[in-house]
Amino acid sequence: MRLLRLTVKDFRNLSEVEVEPSVHATIAVGQNGQGKTNLLEALYYLCTLKPLRAGRLQELVRFGAGQATVTGRFLLRGAERVISVQVQDGARSVFVDGKKAASLEEYFGGVAVVAFTPDDLHVVKGGPDGRRAFLDRAVFNRFPAYLKEGRAYARALKNRNKLLKDQAEPAYLAAYDEALAQAGARVWTRRRALMEELSGRAAAAFERIGRTADPATFRYVPHGLKLPPECPFGAADEGALSAHLLQRLGARLPRDGERGYTSVGPHADDVALELGGRSARDYASQGQQRAFVLAWKVAEIENLSAALGHLPLLLLDDVSSELDPERNAYLMAYLSHSGAQVVLTTTDGSLVRAAAGEDTAWLSVRGGAVRAEGS
Amino acid sequence: MTPAPLNRLVAQLAKLPGIGEKTAQRLAFHLLRSPPEYALELSGAIQEVVAQVRLCPRCFSLAEGALCPLCTDARREDRVLCVVEGVADLLAIERTREFKGRYHVLHGVLSPLEGVGPDQLRIRELITRLGDSPVEEIIVATNPDVEGEATALYLMRLLKPMGVKVSRIAQGIPMGGDLEYADQATLARALQGRREL
Ligand SMILES: Nc1ncnc2c1ncn2[C@@H]1O[C@H](COP(=O)(O)OP(=O)(O)OP(=O)(O)O)[C@@H](O)[C@H]1O
Ligand SMILES: [Mg+2]
Ligand SMILES: [Zn+2]
Repeated sequence: MRLLRLTVKDFRNLSEVEVEPSVHATIAVGQNGQGKTNLLEALYYLCTLKPLRAGRLQELVRFGAGQATVTGRFLLRGAERVISVQVQDGARSVFVDGKKAASLEEYFGGVAVVAFTPDDLHVVKGGPDGRRAFLDRAVFNRFPAYLKEGRAYARALKNRNKLLKDQAEPAYLAAYDEALAQAGARVWTRRRALMEELSGRAAAAFERIGRTADPATFRYVPHGLKLPPECPFGAADEGALSAHLLQRLGARLPRDGERGYTSVGPHADDVALELGGRSARDYASQGQQRAFVLAWKVAEIENLSAALGHLPLLLLDDVSSELDPERNAYLMAYLSHSGAQVVLTTTDGSLVRAAAGEDTAWLSVRGGAVRAEGS
Repeated sequence: MTPAPLNRLVAQLAKLPGIGEKTAQRLAFHLLRSPPEYALELSGAIQEVVAQVRLCPRCFSLAEGALCPLCTDARREDRVLCVVEGVADLLAIERTREFKGRYHVLHGVLSPLEGVGPDQLRIRELITRLGDSPVEEIIVATNPDVEGEATALYLMRLLKPMGVKVSRIAQGIPMGGDLEYADQATLARALQGRREL
């Protein structure tokens, strides 16, 4: 997979941008507030239909403009395809080769992207919701069906919480308990499958960059399970998990009914990050915490490329300024050796020079305009 | 600026699902430009639909007379009843010409978020209907999304104790549907529900 051309119109502060990226590194340099993150967000949104930061879609449309459009020409399995997304009145429409896409699956077919932003670096210190979002982006990259499955769970959960608040009749609630348990078991098995693939790779990557003898562990912690020892989480199939969640929902009902929300299930999952058996959040240094995130991202890239047979597109937003020189050097060397197509932003070109090569496309970003530089 | 009757038409058209203000205006201009007979026929058709089409008091599909043709057709089996969300689903199943039983249209699905509970659907009528007809099997053919699934589960719990066989339509790749056009969630589910040959 390769991005051949990116066109952005009225997306955040980018009024009209054409980029011809390099097959390897494309580096966008600019001062603060000029539109570097906006450029990456446009590309990320094109590839995932998830905004990188916006709460509301309308935030993506340039002030005073009617609609935002991002278009990418990709080379996918030898064929050129143009995918395009438009945001207008808070809603999006997607196009493949100029025609409205019949389904998201048609739209996504083969496009994979891994983004790395300074916000990601707080995922160790932050709350479980940040780690869940982090995990879910990886699950979605690996299993595109998860987009629908995750939404189905969220919807079932909202419906059930509404029933709890309304103190609906038991038979009505029971129907949603079961629907929720089914959708929840699917979320659990997806996250578990991803973490089974990822955690070993992440631990190995950490070993290369953590600069400590203590081993790092990345462990998925499904929330609210009380499985019997003879049937541990790792061995339970989806049916068993669904039955178990149903049972747990029942056990918590007296108290959940009182509070009007569901207190067990995948919506409260977490990923435990530990260094030498101790919580990285409480004990690891800032640099080590960043190494956790970096190792996770490297693992995700390796895992995706093993699963897809090709490297995903990598987007790095001003990460170098947040890393210490040694870890930054590791990352830059990793990027240049991986052969991946990568788009980086930075305020200081010298920080990322190690990822650059002869074929690097240097861009300058200023006041929402993006220009190609001589070198 | 435009004459009031035209504005009223545009406002009415814009209330239709999927029709925005601009499209409504285009449709209104189209009606104005068309031969007057067309507009008269259209408004006549709308009035007739409203005046003559009713919900069948038995299955809640659409009917012109007392009962709908599906309920009065003596060749259909009373033994099997297919429960669907809406009339469009009934028509889709009818097009397959595979199903010989009768129907029951719920007119929606259980959706707490949208304020649709059991009382807003034709569920009570379904129960009453079971009391006075020889139904042995009920096929629940609601959609495979969260609300459709919850509705099916609700019906399952309600109907099973009544001694009637309840089944749910299978999920996965539609027969004759192309694998390549199935979405990934459906494909994943179909793979999981595979059977040995
Ligand atoms: N919808 C919008 N329309 C117009 N401008 C917007 C919109 N949303 C954000 N902006 C502007 O974009 C600018 C920020 O751009 P961006 O976040 O890409 O900066 P950056 O180059 O990444 O800066 P930094 O180096 O500080 O991260 C701000 O000036 C902000 O006001
Ligand atoms: Mg930025
Ligand atoms: Zn009828």
